Amino acid sequence: MENKHYIAQLPDYLDDTLPPEQKEVIATHIASCTTCKEALKELQILSTAFDNEPEVAPSARLRDNFFAQLEAEKQSSSKLIAMDGSSFSKKTNWPTTFLKIAASIALLIGSYFLGKQQQAQIAHTEIALLTNENESFKQTAMLSLMGNKSASKRIQGVQFVTEFSAPDETIVSALIERMLNDENTNVRRTAVEVLSEFTRSELVTNGFIKALKTEKDPGIQITIIQILGKIQERNAVVPMQNLLERKDTQPYVKEELELVLPKII
Amino acid sequence: MKTNKTITFLENLTDEMLMAKVANGNLDVLKILFERHHKHVFNFLYKMCGDKMLSEDITQEVFYKLMKYRSSYNNGKFVSWLFTIARNCLKTHFRKTVNTPESIDTTAIKHIEKEEEKPDYSDLQIALNQLDASDRELLVLHRFQEIKYEELANIVGSTPGAVKTKVSRAMQKLRNIYFKNI
Repeated sequence: MENKHYIAQLPDYLDDTLPPEQKEVIATHIASCTTCKEALKELQILSTAFDNEPEVAPSARLRDNFFAQLEAEKQSSSKLIAMDGSSFSKKTNWPTTFLKIAASIALLIGSYFLGKQQQAQIAHTEIALLTNENESFKQTAMLSLMGNKSASKRIQGVQFVTEFSAPDETIVSALIERMLNDENTNVRRTAVEVLSEFTRSELVTNGFIKALKTEKDPGIQITIIQILGKIQERNAVVPMQNLLERKDTQPYVKEELELVLPKII
Repeated sequence: MKTNKTITFLENLTDEMLMAKVANGNLDVLKILFERHHKHVFNFLYKMCGDKMLSEDITQEVFYKLMKYRSSYNNGKFVSWLFTIARNCLKTHFRKTVNTPESIDTTAIKHIEKEEEKPDYSDLQIALNQLDASDRELLVLHRFQEIKYEELANIVGSTPGAVKTKVSRAMQKLRNIYFKNI
């Protein structure tokens, strides 16, 4: 008879941790078995007793004592590491790590300013040379200025071109190079403005057409479109149409294109 | 402000993450684990030995060991480790104080009887005290501390299946004692 009871499974039945099929079998059994029904009732009472058993709070002495032990341990472990010079503990290395970081920052800032000063000196010398020496010398200095790391110095270099009555091919090529490839928008814009004075040169107009394909800045795009429209450059019609059809072209650039295109005949 | 933020951040971490920090040498983090668990350890010990002062002493010892042996923490379930240490501390204590080969449970009951002013034990505690220490331990850990079979198996060095059967049997024994008393 005892074998047929489910006494052993009742705690899990009560906790609802049994698979559904087993749960159902036990439920059906309990309904018709007084022994199991009684056992389940008792377990329920016992379970409630467990739930209602109050938690006892330890005295504050426990926390105080343990925290004191913890502080002592912190002291002794840091002392231990302090005596051991070869230790690679993170804690003791903090001051040295900090010093290392500070030193590298100082070095970085120091070399930055040194480099900047040298750049400035070079640039100043170049400008000084430009104002004093003959044109060929000016040209070399100006080209070097255009290659300067500082964008403002490059702009200065680009603008110096206006000092030449008839700039030679090297200078024009350098300007086109700036217009097409300079990373700085302002340098490219200045190059475009300066080059607009030399539209009679085929080299320059070809440069503009090329720039029309590569330039992404809408302001510069519009300037180039206006220049090309003004000189009625026929070779520019196809690139302009392409630009008009491109999805990433700004709407106001397209407006300008629509305005200029019909004028080129 | 900043420290408050750090503490709130730490309080959201699991026991295991916190203990890993302690193991790496951040001892202050152990305070958070102490706050989370010292009551549970204390209550487990108190249910096992019925002596408040002794339970406090052993609880302190448990956390001291946690701190001392922090580097041996193997990233396992923290609660299992904690109660394994608590259990061993209690065992060691009884082995030290009792030279005769008495079992833990008789010693525990002696402790209770020894006390001058008996605290008013609940019917449940009285029934629990009459169980074998191993049965009592399982029920206290499983029912009071709500430790799952899997972790319970880790603590007592058994398998989840065997532990489940043992808990069920212990519960039956307790039921018989409890309702006989009433």
